[in-house]
Amino acid sequence: MAIRTIVRLTPAKPKAGENFKLQVVAQHPNEPGTRRDAEGKIIPAKYINQVEIYFEGEKVAEAKPGPSTSANPLYGFMFKAEKAGTFTVKLKDTDGDTGEGTVKLELA
Amino acid sequence: MNRRAFLRTTGVALGAVALAGLPVRAQGLEGEDLANLEKALQAVLGKGFKDLTPSNVIKLTMPAIAESGANVPAEVEVNLPSSQVKAIHLFADKNPTPHLVAFMPMKALPYYATRVRLAETTAIRAVVETADGKFLLASASTRVTVGGCG
Repeated sequence: MAIRTIVRLTPAKPKAGENFKLQVVAQHPNEPGTRRDAEGKIIPAKYINQVEIYFEGEKVAEAKPGPSTSANPLYGFMFKAEKAGTFTVKLKDTDGDTGEGTVKLELA
Repeated sequence: MNRRAFLRTTGVALGAVALAGLPVRAQGLEGEDLANLEKALQAVLGKGFKDLTPSNVIKLTMPAIAESGANVPAEVEVNLPSSQVKAIHLFADKNPTPHLVAFMPMKALPYYATRVRLAETTAIRAVVETADGKFLLASASTRVTVGGCG
């Protein structure tokens, strides 16, 4: 199942040379593998363990979150605005499910 | 507990942290578990706690009190040029899996924000691996009312 991924920039249209945040929110339970269900059975671990950010096809940042990430996680990054282009965020979880989100960077 | 009360307490806690300016301390934090942390540090970095240098260039922002450990905002900012930062790691001493995240900035600025699960009241460590092979450390502590791992 694809992971629903939302990407947004703050501010939406940064000036050239200005720092901006890129925030990613994914819809994912992020089970750490330590929680138990109502019958006391351990819920198997299933969490996002790879977050990659590409800008115009080039990899610009990577994070490897562990199991201790909250459900529906947020990942925030900061970049310096240099030229307009498209960011692509690729997520992958421990079961191999993937999610992808894109956002266009436009300069003010 | 309702959402409004939760937001108010977290807001106040965050404000308090911002005002205090987060003094960098390595010792005497609430919820320290150096034995557990040491194991994780060895597994992830191949380094021990004594190899880490406390540093002022790392700004680690954690709430002082979190009512729910299931969703705790964490923010780390490093006051170094991107090219000098190889990786940023976050650890929580008391978590079953202390290593929270590894972040490789590459072309991004050395800043990372996320939301984490905390099992109980714990010390949080931000470890920055620099390009010249040094390991810098900043610590904070969050008091957790209800754990998020079990």
